[in-house]
Amino acid sequence: MAVDRPGGRDEIKATRRATEGARALAAVMPRLILESRRIAATVIHGLHGRRRAGSGENFWQFRRYVSGEEARRIDWRRSARGDELYVREKEWEAAHTVWIWPDRSPSMKFSSRTALESKLERTLVISLALAEVLVDAGERVGVPGLMRPTGSRAVIDRMADAITHDPNERASLPQGFAPAPLAEIVVISDLWSPVEEIRTTLSQLSANGAHGHLVQIVDPAEETFPYSGRVEFIEPEGAGEITVGRAENWRPDYEARLARHRAEIRAVTDKLGWSFIIHRTDRQPNELLLALHVRIGEGNAAVALARGTAGRPRRSA
Amino acid sequence: MMGLPLGFASPLVLLGLLSLPVLWWLLRLIPPRPRRIEFPPTRLLFDIKPKEDTPSRTPWWLTLLRLTLATLVILAAAGPLWNPPTATTTGATAIALLIDDGFSAAASWDARVRTADDLIARAEADNRGIALISLGEAGRDISLQTPAAARVALNRMKPKPHAIERVDALPGIVRLLTATPNMEIIWLSDGVDLGRGSEFVEGLAKAVEGRPVSVVAGGLPTAHALAAADNAAGALTVKVLRATTAGTEQGLIRALDLKGLPLGESRFAFKDGEREADAELNLPVEIRNDIARVEIPAEKSAGTVQLLDKRWRRRTVGIVTGATAETAQPLLASTFYLGRALNPFADVRLAEPGAPAEAVRRFIEQNVPMIILADVGNVAGEARDRLSAWVDGGGMLVRFAGPRLAGSDDDLVPVKLRRGGRILGGSLSWDQPQQLTAFSREGPFGSMPVPNDVTVTRQVLAEPEAGLIDRTWATLADGTPLVTAVKRGKGMIVLFHVTADTRWSDLPLSGAFVDMLRRIAALSASSAAAENSDNPTAREMVPPTRLLDGFGAFGPPPPTARPVAAGYAARATSDHPPGFYGPPDGLLAVNTLAPADRLVTLDYSKLNARLAAYQVGEPLDLRGPVFLAALGLLALDAIVVFFLAGGFAQLFRGRPRRAAAAVLALVAAGGLLMAATQASAQQRPPQQQRATTTPPADQSADAFAMRATLDTRLAYVATGDAEADNVSRAGLQSLTVFLAQRTALEAGEPVALDIARDELSFFPLIYWPVVPGAAKPSPQALARIDAYMKQGGTVLFDTRDAIMAPPGPGGEARAPGMVALRTILSSLDIPELEPVPRDHVLTKTFFLLKDFPGRFNYGQLWVEATQTAKDDEDESKRPARAGDGVSSIIITSNDFAGAWATRGDGQALLPMVPGEPRQREFAFRAGVNIVMYTLTGNYKADQVHVPALLERLGQ
Repeated sequence: MAVDRPGGRDEIKATRRATEGARALAAVMPRLILESRRIAATVIHGLHGRRRAGSGENFWQFRRYVSGEEARRIDWRRSARGDELYVREKEWEAAHTVWIWPDRSPSMKFSSRTALESKLERTLVISLALAEVLVDAGERVGVPGLMRPTGSRAVIDRMADAITHDPNERASLPQGFAPAPLAEIVVISDLWSPVEEIRTTLSQLSANGAHGHLVQIVDPAEETFPYSGRVEFIEPEGAGEITVGRAENWRPDYEARLARHRAEIRAVTDKLGWSFIIHRTDRQPNELLLALHVRIGEGNAAVALARGTAGRPRRSA
Repeated sequence: MMGLPLGFASPLVLLGLLSLPVLWWLLRLIPPRPRRIEFPPTRLLFDIKPKEDTPSRTPWWLTLLRLTLATLVILAAAGPLWNPPTATTTGATAIALLIDDGFSAAASWDARVRTADDLIARAEADNRGIALISLGEAGRDISLQTPAAARVALNRMKPKPHAIERVDALPGIVRLLTATPNMEIIWLSDGVDLGRGSEFVEGLAKAVEGRPVSVVAGGLPTAHALAAADNAAGALTVKVLRATTAGTEQGLIRALDLKGLPLGESRFAFKDGEREADAELNLPVEIRNDIARVEIPAEKSAGTVQLLDKRWRRRTVGIVTGATAETAQPLLASTFYLGRALNPFADVRLAEPGAPAEAVRRFIEQNVPMIILADVGNVAGEARDRLSAWVDGGGMLVRFAGPRLAGSDDDLVPVKLRRGGRILGGSLSWDQPQQLTAFSREGPFGSMPVPNDVTVTRQVLAEPEAGLIDRTWATLADGTPLVTAVKRGKGMIVLFHVTADTRWSDLPLSGAFVDMLRRIAALSASSAAAENSDNPTAREMVPPTRLLDGFGAFGPPPPTARPVAAGYAARATSDHPPGFYGPPDGLLAVNTLAPADRLVTLDYSKLNARLAAYQVGEPLDLRGPVFLAALGLLALDAIVVFFLAGGFAQLFRGRPRRAAAAVLALVAAGGLLMAATQASAQQRPPQQQRATTTPPADQSADAFAMRATLDTRLAYVATGDAEADNVSRAGLQSLTVFLAQRTALEAGEPVALDIARDELSFFPLIYWPVVPGAAKPSPQALARIDAYMKQGGTVLFDTRDAIMAPPGPGGEARAPGMVALRTILSSLDIPELEPVPRDHVLTKTFFLLKDFPGRFNYGQLWVEATQTAKDDEDESKRPARAGDGVSSIIITSNDFAGAWATRGDGQALLPMVPGEPRQREFAFRAGVNIVMYTLTGNYKADQVHVPALLERLGQ
């Protein structure tokens, strides 16, 4: 049905598998409470993400009209019940949003013999599971250029649906996208693009002050270079090919080149204040999810990891 | 060319093989196609400085594959031929074609003729003359012929059944060669040398004088021959010969009788380096004696046939000794000397200890051709008559004298004997121990040298009479006979006038003894031998009867075959071809090879000849198969290259699932199959369990058998009618009690029988109340009843209807019970019946009874008619008739059981019909008599004679 579509059959299948895998993965994760690091600075946001705190519900949805604001923002129905004027706050604009970018480019379909699954599948599993975990914690999750942020319970289905029906070309990195300042962005990719490209993309993403995490998904074969003999290597995204006479002789050089590549990426992320995580597909996916869990929640670690003990979240000063 | 029948049409193309090293170098140089791998971080590789890579070489096995391919192509181009035709020099000279046509050529005659035919055909094409020389027919004139005429002559040639003597043909060849100086000689040899082969080769080499010579030999299966058949003590052995020593070989020999029926088979095996192998036919001696022909069935030639006549027959000799004490010192007994002397050529059977007459009778029954009586005096009575008849029928009776014979009168001796023996050299005698001095020239010992180590100290003497000289085979120095013989009927009686042990002479210690016995044994078992024995030295000529052709098949004798002397034992010749000679009952076998003949490989080295092999099949063009093989290798190479280039990975990339699914499906199918077989295997145990659950039935049968046999029990047939069965049981119970009170029989509880199922043979008497209207028993049940009655059981049928019988004569037979009984009995084999006669043993077995009442007293008791009933008068005077055995059937209509039956308290169950109280007592007595009759049989019939016997004894 979708052979002519850019993603192709592989992606649909991977998505379908990843949907289930992600649900299972998310089910075993500790519940995540993400406290925005910016929350203290924005009074208007009020208590965030605690839908259960019934007492504060009216309060954070309506706020007093401050003189100087546009009159059309006043919620007259509410204001008519009293002397004050109330402004209906637009919830979706104000909520804390996490953007997740799963790389679905052709190079992600690579899978060597030692890997548990392809990089694409691993990426999708992580993305969907992360989305589920985040939504469970009251966050809103979106996919740059593909899905608007949503807090729906059925976020996995919606995300999978969006990925499956994506009519666009699969790019390695999100392009032409700048998230809101308070948003977080998680970019999951193999990051084999030239460092320049990565740097440009990251700069663009953090142009508005957004904060992010860069995850490199690699196949074990891409790290160990287990080839020997006469091999012709082909770049799956059409960047060219190279014939190697004795591949085993190339291994040390390749490893050095790989380390340099990673060092360059790390330099970029350090400069922007992003985190950089490397994940191999022969490891279990929950390792990465836990790492992401920790990093995303580290803005308020105490709250993040101890939702069960803390009856109320502490408001950061 | 010599090893493999392989040739090439254009051998020059084979020079192409020289190009292989170049090809090898080239192949080593060209690297294989690289593997193609999609590798996402390829862009990183772009930045790495390229290395100095030496190109990886083609794997050695791929090079080998390609070189093989190239070799095959070159070979195919050279036009390989299997079985290339025999090469001759091309030219216009005439050809002398020498053909070995002895027995050793017969097995592969077709191949030889084909080769010769091929040579003739090519000579025809080249327009050359041919002189066809059969080395087996020396006398034939040799001349040059046209190829067409040679072909006709060739087709007329047949292999000879005898060994050929090539030297005899040499003069003719020399003559031919001197007449035609320009000639090519081709010898189609069979490669077998029987002694004078090298002589012929030398002679031929001399005659050839530099002419081109080709010898065609080999390439055909080795010819075998059989020789030296020997019917030894344990088995018939025959030597299998071959001309070569190379290689191990196995084969089969088969023994046939005179009619061509196979009697046995055996295997022989040649080891490497052996020219002869032994084959053994382990058969009973009687069957071995029937063997007339031993052959190698796989090879049709006269040489592979060994014919056996009566000289190979192994006699069985029975020895009977009159001495009883001989067992005390068995190594000095006459049987020991005889056994030792006979063993080399005959099977000795010793009589069991016991009466000589019995032993003789047994030997005659065993159809032994020769019996030795060692010092048996009179053979008495019937045994004498039988022995006499046996001798008349062709038996060979050999007797040894001894004290018993010397003291007896007997007509089973060849000459009249004086009573008592004669002692030579004893203390009371003037005579010295006598030497054996002469063998009669007429007798079988005629040709034997007279031994000088035989002295006789005692002998029995013949009465001097007219025919004594004719009957004497061996005489002592004083002219008294030592061995005499006479023909009687078809048989013969031979008497040694001394004992078979060393008491009377030392003849048994002499080697001549063995020879004498051998010659006597050779005379036995054949009337022809007996006839011959009249004038055996007269070396008569026997005409050919059935002769072998070259292929070993029997046929009528050819006109050239001439009679042979009766004792002919040499190698067959063209005058005396192998086969059977003489009359049908005294056949003489002449074999192709003499026992001492051995086959040797012919040595051609002196000839300086070109050697070639026979072509076994048609020339076969191998170009097609070789090209096909090359094509196969090409395909293999393509697959290998495809594989090396990662073709399979590409083939399956993107659908490992599918491949996995296919593999899974295969595995699943296999698993299902396994599961199915396991399931069916698991379904079996229930059946086995069912099988093991049958033992309870067996156990119940066992219990029934134990119950029925540990006590003697009366039995009744359960009719299915509850009332009748109750009465039967109660009646038999009462009878059992009555028996225990009055007689020695203390029987167990009565048994109810299901005649269709229960074993009947445990019961001496079965009471069968006939219920009118009851279903007729099944045929199987009736068969069981029949078998029971035949095996000695007795059935007491009680129709219980005497009261219901219509009045008048024969009314009893029309009563309903009788009608029902008749339907039962109609399927049984019932003997003639009669009413119990007054004097039947039934009336006397325990009580003396006049009649046999039950509840009714009108009914008649029927038993099997005794055979003596109609016999003569004095039989009828006897107080009791015996009848051999017990009547298997007793029929009454008086309802015995009803009379016997009592309730638990001892009161009678049913009323008696006339009502007299004594009637019940008599009914019991009748029952006791019947039971006693079935248990004791006609014993009482003998007992009734006791008073008469006592009376007689008293006098």
